[in-house]
Amino acid sequence: MSDLEAYRAKAAAWLESMVPTFGKEARKGLSVEEDLAVARQYQRAKFDAGYAGINWPVDYGGQGLGHLEKVTFDSEEMKHGFPSFYFGISLGMPIPVLMQFGSDKDFVKTRVLKALKGEEIWCQLFSEPSGGSDLAGLRTKAEADGNGWKINGQKVWTSWAQYSDYGVIVVRTDPNVPKHKGLTYFWVDMKAPGVTVRPIKLVGGDSHVNEVFFDDVKITDDHRMSPVGGGFAVAIATLMIERYVATDSGGFGPHLDLFVDLAKNTELNGKPAIEDGRIRQQIARNYAMRSGLQSITARAMALMQAGMTPGPEGSLNKLVAVRSRQKLSELAIDLQGSGGFAYDDHASQKEDWTASWINAPTGRIAGGSDETLLNTIAEKILGLPQDHRPDKGVAFNQIPA
Amino acid sequence: MSILYDEGQQAIATESRRVLEARMNKDELLPLLETTGKFHDGFWTTAKEQGWTALALPEAYGGLDLGLVELGLIAHQAGRSLSGAPFLTGSFGAAKAIELYGSDEQKAKYLPGLASGETIGAIAFAAGSNALPVLPSVTLTDNCLDGTSTGVAGGLAADIAVVYANGPGMPVLVVADLANVTRSAIDSFDNSRLYADLTFAGTPADTLVIGGTAREAALHILALQAVITAHEQTGGAEAMMEIARDYAVTRRAFGQVIGAFQSIKHRIAELYGFVELARANCIHAASREGQADFVTAAAAARISATEAYDTASRDCVQIHGGIGVTWELGLHLHTRRARSLAIEQGNLLFWEDILVDRLTGEAA
Ligand SMILES: Cc1cc2nc3c(=O)[nH]c(=O)nc-3n(C[C@H](O)[C@H](O)[C@H](O)COP(=O)(O)OP(=O)(O)OC[C@H]3O[C@@H](n4cnc5c(N)ncnc54)[C@H](O)[C@@H]3O)c2cc1C
Repeated sequence: MSDLEAYRAKAAAWLESMVPTFGKEARKGLSVEEDLAVARQYQRAKFDAGYAGINWPVDYGGQGLGHLEKVTFDSEEMKHGFPSFYFGISLGMPIPVLMQFGSDKDFVKTRVLKALKGEEIWCQLFSEPSGGSDLAGLRTKAEADGNGWKINGQKVWTSWAQYSDYGVIVVRTDPNVPKHKGLTYFWVDMKAPGVTVRPIKLVGGDSHVNEVFFDDVKITDDHRMSPVGGGFAVAIATLMIERYVATDSGGFGPHLDLFVDLAKNTELNGKPAIEDGRIRQQIARNYAMRSGLQSITARAMALMQAGMTPGPEGSLNKLVAVRSRQKLSELAIDLQGSGGFAYDDHASQKEDWTASWINAPTGRIAGGSDETLLNTIAEKILGLPQDHRPDKGVAFNQIPA
Repeated sequence: MSILYDEGQQAIATESRRVLEARMNKDELLPLLETTGKFHDGFWTTAKEQGWTALALPEAYGGLDLGLVELGLIAHQAGRSLSGAPFLTGSFGAAKAIELYGSDEQKAKYLPGLASGETIGAIAFAAGSNALPVLPSVTLTDNCLDGTSTGVAGGLAADIAVVYANGPGMPVLVVADLANVTRSAIDSFDNSRLYADLTFAGTPADTLVIGGTAREAALHILALQAVITAHEQTGGAEAMMEIARDYAVTRRAFGQVIGAFQSIKHRIAELYGFVELARANCIHAASREGQADFVTAAAAARISATEAYDTASRDCVQIHGGIGVTWELGLHLHTRRARSLAIEQGNLLFWEDILVDRLTGEAA
């Protein structure tokens, strides 16, 4: 057994032992607040067992292991539906960025440890009503105020902001220069006076995203994580960190096996649906697509293990997988006919076709819409021209709103 | 776990690409469409010279003892340059059938010729719309074949064929000399593939497999060929994607290059997805030769490669506008090849069913 396989086996056994306390069954019927409390215990258990910050520096409380161990653990963890999603953003982007760009090392170390143990949560305050895909189009501003700054404006779609202790934020500090050049990157205390968080209810019934309002929120200059006017580069670095987070060829929806089971157990024209050509075609094509993604991921892992850099084809994962999950979920509901109406908003997106379907559009938008991903592939990989950008080179305050 | 190409394999890819790009061009391929029964013999000469015919066969019989991974890399390049004579897969499949299921005597008789490329092999399994019929239309009685195999790729030029036939009450896989077999050429949209119906009338045949395992053996041979064809398809799809990209960054309309329109740009980005998924499945399938899940992996490769080549050739033409549908530009060479390869080795419907059978244990 290779070292990695041994690592996988050990992690799998540990995860298995956590199921009775933190698995779906154990958490059934809990309110979000109760579930979050349980999730914090789970995160703490991970920390104690050495599965938090797997590929982070030991200095900051991490394990100092490689990326492969991290991906291996994540793929095992994903099988069980543990409540790790509350910390997905926090440990995914803001904390790694804090480690890289935070200036006060003692402060950073304290925060990182608390986040790893599930005691503190961070959010990422990038998107705004006027700037989602167009990140540099944001309008929330920070003005110099004594020896610090004063923030005014509104962010939106901020995941877990209502439970967050801190956030990383990009704001406009100079409207007189082209849009990318007038941005600065800070961290903020989410409990500071003037910060108001208002949850937004999403299509699936949950409210994990929020509007966040900033009214004269005062911060000192040591909150700054980029040069003044140099925030865009750090924002892009944030989006690039965790480039190789666990991928899921099922698009974070149900496994194809579940569809096969459904097709075996459902009748169509008096025969098992599994005998129907249309159903078989979808199974076959989904399998081919998913196995392709898995091979891409497997090769990327093998390359990394060999000390090489994986090719850009990993960027296909979210684009291809989530779209196909959306369609397969529709077909699964179709197959159930009049039995397909039922909806349980606590059902797992990985096991329930309706929950998967209703939430699939979120996956096609959050973290970069399909269209922007296609632009990235076209421009960065295939060398096609950038879109026409009428706002290029124009001072931000001269761009027609 | 999928494989990584090692240095030797990368060298095979680079060298075969260099050789094929130097020797193949569309001006030689276009006229082949207008006659029946001609193929690009430059390709076959190259294949023999370069040792590609021997590549995946055993050393004991003049082979080089490499495998599907290496042959796949060459097939990918052949697909890119549209060069592949149908025997790249047919001779390989016939040789594998003899290597895997033949007696020592049969191997000694056929394999050296197939390895050197002097003997051209074909696979005659299909009957009409069935790539692997439940009841083969060719019958074997007293070691002689009767009946017709349809649409045999390379059938006009092959010296021997491995035939899936109906023995006395059970399926058989046999090898037959084609010297005295009636070949009727099919006028095809992709003429250089040399498609023919082969009619056997008391043709002597050597038995390779008889009985219950013959069908499984035939499917296995088809799967080996499918993986090679899938590489060829992926190469073709990749070429179409690149040709589309190159045109999109030069052709101008409405004051800008057409690649700046998202309808064009996103289409090419989607092609990238098709090509990379097909490539990943091909590499995976090639690396699974000899494993229990080989047929499953081959089916997945075949499905994604067929989708990739059809889509890429369709979109590439569309992206070219009017010039795309001219005889002269030759994009239709790919359009044609995409369709002919989609049928050779069993169509999408066939492989989708095989895949689902394997995944679910349930037949249609
Ligand atoms: C569940 C969820 C959680 C999120 N969590 C966070 C978070 O924690 N922090 C955070 O900062 N943000 C978060 N987001 C925001 C997310 O990043 C944005 O929603 C996303 O980038 C799209 O921006 P938008 O919603 O403003 O859509 P828009 O940018 O307005 O896009 C509208 C449409 O226009 C298309 N479009 C835009 N630009 C182009 C283009 N150049 N070419 C072609 N089409 C284009 C889009 O694809 C889309 O179809 C979250 C979003 C969701 C749904």
